[in-house]
Amino acid sequence: MIKEALVCLEGSPSSDAATRLATTIASELGASLVGLAIVDEPDIRAGTATGIGGSSFKHERDEALLADARSRAADSLALFERRCREAKVLARSLEIVGRPAASILKEMETRDLTIIGRDANFRFETESDDAATREAILHHAARPVLLVPEETDGAIKKEVVVAYDGSRAAKRAIASFAASGLAPRRNIHVATVDDNGESAWEMASAGVKAFAELGVAAEPHNIVSALSNIDALFRFSNEIGAGLIVMGAFAHNRLAQLFHGSVTRGLVERATTPLYLQH
Amino acid sequence: MENVIAAAPHLTPAWAVVPFVGYLFLIAMLPLVASRLWESNLSKLVLALVAGIPPVVYLVGQTHDGPALLLRTGFDYLAFMALLGALFAISGGICLRGALVGTPAVNTAFLAAGAVLASVIGTTGASALLIRPLLRANAHRPRATHLVVFFIFIVSNAGGLLTPLGDPPLFLGFLRGVPFTWTLRLLPAWALVNGALLVLFAAFDQLSFVRQRGKPRPSRPSDPALEVGPLRVEGGLNLVWLLGIVGVVFATGMLAAPMAGHPHLLTLLQVAGMTLFAGLSWITTSRDLRQVNRFSWAPMIEVATIFLGVFVTMIPALSFLEQRGASLGITQPWQFFWTSGALSSVLDNAPTYLTFASLAVGVTDGGTGVVAAGGIRALVSHPTGAQLLAAVSCGAVMMGAVTYIGNGPNFMVKAIAEQHRVRTPSFFGYVGWSGSILLPLFALVSHLFF
Repeated sequence: MIKEALVCLEGSPSSDAATRLATTIASELGASLVGLAIVDEPDIRAGTATGIGGSSFKHERDEALLADARSRAADSLALFERRCREAKVLARSLEIVGRPAASILKEMETRDLTIIGRDANFRFETESDDAATREAILHHAARPVLLVPEETDGAIKKEVVVAYDGSRAAKRAIASFAASGLAPRRNIHVATVDDNGESAWEMASAGVKAFAELGVAAEPHNIVSALSNIDALFRFSNEIGAGLIVMGAFAHNRLAQLFHGSVTRGLVERATTPLYLQH
Repeated sequence: MENVIAAAPHLTPAWAVVPFVGYLFLIAMLPLVASRLWESNLSKLVLALVAGIPPVVYLVGQTHDGPALLLRTGFDYLAFMALLGALFAISGGICLRGALVGTPAVNTAFLAAGAVLASVIGTTGASALLIRPLLRANAHRPRATHLVVFFIFIVSNAGGLLTPLGDPPLFLGFLRGVPFTWTLRLLPAWALVNGALLVLFAAFDQLSFVRQRGKPRPSRPSDPALEVGPLRVEGGLNLVWLLGIVGVVFATGMLAAPMAGHPHLLTLLQVAGMTLFAGLSWITTSRDLRQVNRFSWAPMIEVATIFLGVFVTMIPALSFLEQRGASLGITQPWQFFWTSGALSSVLDNAPTYLTFASLAVGVTDGGTGVVAAGGIRALVSHPTGAQLLAAVSCGAVMMGAVTYIGNGPNFMVKAIAEQHRVRTPSFFGYVGWSGSILLPLFALVSHLFF
């Protein structure tokens, strides 16, 4: 059961969506929240080619960006605390100066779930987008991550899709989701996409069995489609009105991802419902 | 035989170039790999002094004219820093205030004015004066990256080609005897590059303006006190002091021949004149105005410290090139244009200019000793030499725009833009912009003029 969840904040609409969903989950499970804001001083102050006479301008620029980052961190935490007070959720705030990915990975070690806005940019002072931090977290996280797209309405609907391919990451995802406390009172649909309907069914049934062993009821679905795995999964998810997709994140090594593409990356980039991911 | 040996000119050994090359390499790399250490001016001073020891020991101990060369270089350094400091102080006392809305027409006119101004108050002064008003005028635009990039191309670099006041390399040439008005012969290349860049910018900005119409206004810091009322110049008296600087430089050029026997006295007069006008600017400009411009001497102290090392280490390097230039295989104007430009892109363009101008002396001289005796000054009266010097001037000034480190103001503009929350390209992102826009233009310049 989730007792404490980490909510990563950076002041964007994406992290506000994450905060709203986090308060819903905390209310449902009686959990507490920790709001984390990061001042990315190492990236702001990182060395750069400046030319003659440039280092004093760089110093001035660094100070301005740091002041901005500190102010935005304070605003994000204030908004988080207000949202938690309104939702009557126990919460505390944490501000860290450091590299975003490393800071989040360290803090999530002691929390049951980490909730992040899908489009959150923790390096907003130096980068126009920050898929790198998200990918680093998903590749190295030992604990589950809930990625929240901006479109999310702040609630987890009753129907949940579990994308199952038999990988170790997928098995870990089932185990952690079953233990999270989010599974009861929800309809779990274990789905496997494959060209061969029979083997897809067998795989999905294995996922259902894994849930059953943990005391959670689930229903198998085999998906045979001319669409790509990602499109087929989204279509199925839409058909049943799913409010959450659970899956193992980056189940294959980076070389395999390079040659075959990554289902996780595709789902993350295009999802309109929250994704519960376990590496 | 003994007489022949005694009369043979002293040839600078290749190893004497190493401190210069090593120093330039370190000032390019240290901001990247040791940024905290590099922030301190004391660190820079220590590096400059350490790098300067081998050349000084060599010049004093191994050459008969070393002390005289060191003295001459010291006076050059004094004059160089006096000009940079005076232009910096004066342009830092001028402020553009008032409501200005950044439409494509206004922005293009602004950059065109910047291209002219760069040759009058220098690329650094023009950049410092114009970048903040331009950013304020475009604060409503969701994307302003292209403004920063074209500003660096035009105002921080290519605009400064017309006079020795425009860009430090050209002033170094002036200090070495290139006449004040000689750079005006580069007008066709200046007009071609700046004209083409302005046309490209206007098209780009119009496209961007139309695409961004209706998109939400970005959240950027603003200062209403600077953005209301008609557009006006405050600290206008500094324009008078600026004319004074132009007068001093021009007069120095005119007096060079009559005072040929007293070059150090002439330099001291020049420094005194510049100090006078910088002092007048300092006295007559209100502190509030300098605060609005965020004026600080810190950049100038940094420039003075780094150039101290450049000036000392380059003495043997320049002698080496003057003596052996012809044997290095770079003989054609187009080669000078591209090689001086390529090095100006990754090193500062001022020492690069002097290096290649010295190489041009060696090539033009061809071992006769006639041009070599006159140095860079002698190039302008030699048809081949003048063409080579024109190629070096264009290469060093224009291609300083290729990277953020090619010319001093480039990074200043980037840093100020980022303080205004305008997204700027990364180092290699910027090289992508300059590679796709500037390189074809430079190919055209090379084809037409060199």
